[in-house]
Amino acid sequence: MFSLLSRTIRELLQRRRANREVEEELQFHLEMEINANVVRGLSAADARRQALADLGGVAQTTEAVRGVRASWIDSISQDVRFALRVLRRGGTGWLAMAMLALAIGITAAMFTVVDALLLRTAPFQNPDELAFVYLGNDHGGPNAVAPAVLRAWKQSGVFAAVEAANRSTAVVEMNGSIMTRGLAQVTPGVFEMLRGVRPVKGRLFDTSDGRSGTDDRILISEDMWRDVFGRDPDTIGKSVLIDGKPLVVIGILPAEFRFPSASTVIWRASSFDDPKGTRPVVYVRFRTDLPRADAERIATTAARSADSVTATANRYLRVQPLRGTLLDEYSERAIPLLGGGVVLVFFVLCANVSSLLLARFTARQREFAMRSALGASRARLLRQALVESGLIGILAILAGAGTAWILVALARAFLPEAFLLGTLNPLNLDLRALAVTSAAGVVATAAAGLLPAWIGTRVQRDSPLRVSDRGGTETRAARALARMLLVAELALACTLLTGATLLIRSFVNLANADRGLDPEGIVVARLSVLIPELKGDGARESLARSLEDEVRSLPAVQQMAWSYGLPPGGGAMSFGEWHSDLAGAPALDMVVDRYWVGPEFFSMLDIPILRGRTFAPEDSSNDVVVGERFAAALWPGLDPLGHSFTFVKERFRVIGVAREINYPTLETRRDSPEFYEQFKGVGRYAMAMASIRCAGPCPDPALIRQRLGRVHAAVRVDSVRPLVDSYIEELARPRSAAAVGFAFAAIAVLAAAGGLFSVLSYAVRRRRREFGIRSALGASSSQLAGVVVRDSVTVSLAGLCAGGLASWWIARGLTSLQYGVSATDPVSCAVVISLLAITVALASWWPAKEAMRSDPVSLLRGE
Amino acid sequence: VPKTEYLQGALDLLILKTLALAPNHGWGIQQRISQVSRESLSVSQGSLYPALHRLEAAGLLSSEMTASDNNRRARVYRLTAAGRRRLETEAEDWREFSLAIRRLLQQN
Repeated sequence: MFSLLSRTIRELLQRRRANREVEEELQFHLEMEINANVVRGLSAADARRQALADLGGVAQTTEAVRGVRASWIDSISQDVRFALRVLRRGGTGWLAMAMLALAIGITAAMFTVVDALLLRTAPFQNPDELAFVYLGNDHGGPNAVAPAVLRAWKQSGVFAAVEAANRSTAVVEMNGSIMTRGLAQVTPGVFEMLRGVRPVKGRLFDTSDGRSGTDDRILISEDMWRDVFGRDPDTIGKSVLIDGKPLVVIGILPAEFRFPSASTVIWRASSFDDPKGTRPVVYVRFRTDLPRADAERIATTAARSADSVTATANRYLRVQPLRGTLLDEYSERAIPLLGGGVVLVFFVLCANVSSLLLARFTARQREFAMRSALGASRARLLRQALVESGLIGILAILAGAGTAWILVALARAFLPEAFLLGTLNPLNLDLRALAVTSAAGVVATAAAGLLPAWIGTRVQRDSPLRVSDRGGTETRAARALARMLLVAELALACTLLTGATLLIRSFVNLANADRGLDPEGIVVARLSVLIPELKGDGARESLARSLEDEVRSLPAVQQMAWSYGLPPGGGAMSFGEWHSDLAGAPALDMVVDRYWVGPEFFSMLDIPILRGRTFAPEDSSNDVVVGERFAAALWPGLDPLGHSFTFVKERFRVIGVAREINYPTLETRRDSPEFYEQFKGVGRYAMAMASIRCAGPCPDPALIRQRLGRVHAAVRVDSVRPLVDSYIEELARPRSAAAVGFAFAAIAVLAAAGGLFSVLSYAVRRRRREFGIRSALGASSSQLAGVVVRDSVTVSLAGLCAGGLASWWIARGLTSLQYGVSATDPVSCAVVISLLAITVALASWWPAKEAMRSDPVSLLRGE
Repeated sequence: VPKTEYLQGALDLLILKTLALAPNHGWGIQQRISQVSRESLSVSQGSLYPALHRLEAAGLLSSEMTASDNNRRARVYRLTAAGRRRLETEAEDWREFSLAIRRLLQQN
């Protein structure tokens, strides 16, 4: 093997010399022959003529010797040169290559996205040993545990590692600018638990960090180092104002490190040992030598003895494996479907490449027949065809890798944050995706090249050479294959178009859905309030006043309202039995959004009070305003004013009915009925939301955040953002799903149209003679066009039928992503069918016109 | 004297046998074959040179460019060890084959 290779290489290098030597050798032979003739007594001229005649063609012999000496590399390189020459002539080759490149590019890019978002595990060592744990019952429970529980678990040794990581956001002040960044409060050992984390600069936390006196130490990510510090090499040891406090940077973590959430860029050391302080969110690494069930049991016992609430509420250890992704349900459903969509697009494009190559090889049958007549074996022709499609494949793989790279860069730039920040894995075109690109390329080339090559090279030696048969004939197999590919293409395009139409209609419905309130021009500040720090008479009232003064002093602020809980879907989820005061009415089991709101709340958010009134200061805490849906459920058909209901032993009296507010979301269970209680004041709840309506543009959220954050040590600002963002956020994923679906469908429809067009016009060109004769025999031009149209309609109908079945199936698969559209939506059906009909009509228009133009005279002149 | 149809299969044998006596160049081999067969066998250069190169590629011959009379370089072929072994088996095959043919023709 090696010697063969080395000889091949040597021969390649010495080819020029070897060729010269062959010529020299034959020249020597010629001269010897001439000499011999001269010796025999011929004149010099006769001797030469005689010798040349005896020899036969010197050139042919040289070629024959070269043919013997030529290695396979020679003949392949000849094939490649020939293929390049054919490709340079332009036409369908480039089109096929571009389509294949597109197919490979989209597939690889989509694979990268699906891989990063869904398939890949958390980017840490032995990720299946890692888990997020909390204490709860079958319905779930709070994320965080008591500090005592964390301590108990650490002491019990039941886990290989127990660490805490609480994520939040923080205001960062640097050189006079204010910005918000993701922050995580972590126990120092968290990096050791994840394993394999190395700082880019400085050091990680050690056990001495995070205690009082050393809890001002932070690590920052490379991204933040770049954005905020401009990659200043002396960043280590510098302090930066975070939430108003100077914190010291002791290390920089690589940009790829994402934990506990993808948006975390600041890590602050904390030991979580203050029993009244922040409750830790716990992550563990399980021991490999202890069965999970035992570990969970021991951990539950330890937690119950450390914390009385866990014991009384009968909570147990609940484990959530730490996956690479923290996707919501929508993305989890949408991404595999979009992945399926890209596979369909891949098939459409491959079918198209296949039919293009098929047409290309069939059109060149004369060339193949000629070469076959000159002595080329079928294997030789097949190899030529394969080299040609292989060359197209290789160029397509290269172009496809480039396309994939660009698409991933675009995805990184334009995918909604909800997608991108849902994964702990950074979105990079990785080696695996590139491997898949190449594999996809090989499959596509084989699929696109092999069959056409096989059929295209099946040459009847005599028939295509007949001059009268201009342009060659299409074999029956090639014709059947081309039609089948077209039917498949149209069916897939129909399927993708149906899916995209449903996604787009869902998005439009979602975007236009009635929210029941007006979120425009409202900014919401969410505050955490440390209630125990508000001691003394009037502390709460004065806090509320100073917060309100602070807000009102901001420019453009018009109105503000307090609440605990805020739409959309942000109320306290209350589920259980609701008893109305109607005699004999059964208890209702439902989930209700419960809000505590100030009296201005309704007018500010533009929620009309339909009956009764909003709150007044003298109302008791049991006076409530209910939403329409809630009222209709408890008092169907009756006026709820003055009625009362009981929930968890508490009795409420209805003083008003507000218009129903909706939460347009695909997860319908998140849109619950609601009722409102009176907001009792800042400091009565662990959180408070200040809704601020502005005249004109609202102040910068970071500014609002900074002003409110410095009012009181007991108040921490969790976030400040426009209310409309919550709604837009809910739209972001359906919008990108619809956009991606639309792009796929557009590519598929264009490809199918292109395929139909090329096959039909190729058929027309091939049958020009037939059309000419028909026209000479008196066929009208519309009859000729009818032939083409019939061809196109047959194929299209077959494609639509197959596509209809597939569409029905895909529409059912998409049910969970639909909003206000059913799988059998007539509008969507009509849209799909008319779009496809227009496409088919446009694709057959030119070929039909071409057929009508068949001129018998010019055709016969060509005979 | 065209008996080339028979020659085709035997060409390799003829070349190997000729070179077994002494290394030679293509023209020399051609002359030698026609001399020894008393002009009843003639090999055209169109068959000879491809065959020489084929046998060389198969490792049965080796060759080198040597300076020759009248200032021209000639390619001189010689038999390799593998070529010698091949000559023996081919010669044996040929003898068996021709014996079989002769027996067949001597029937009746």
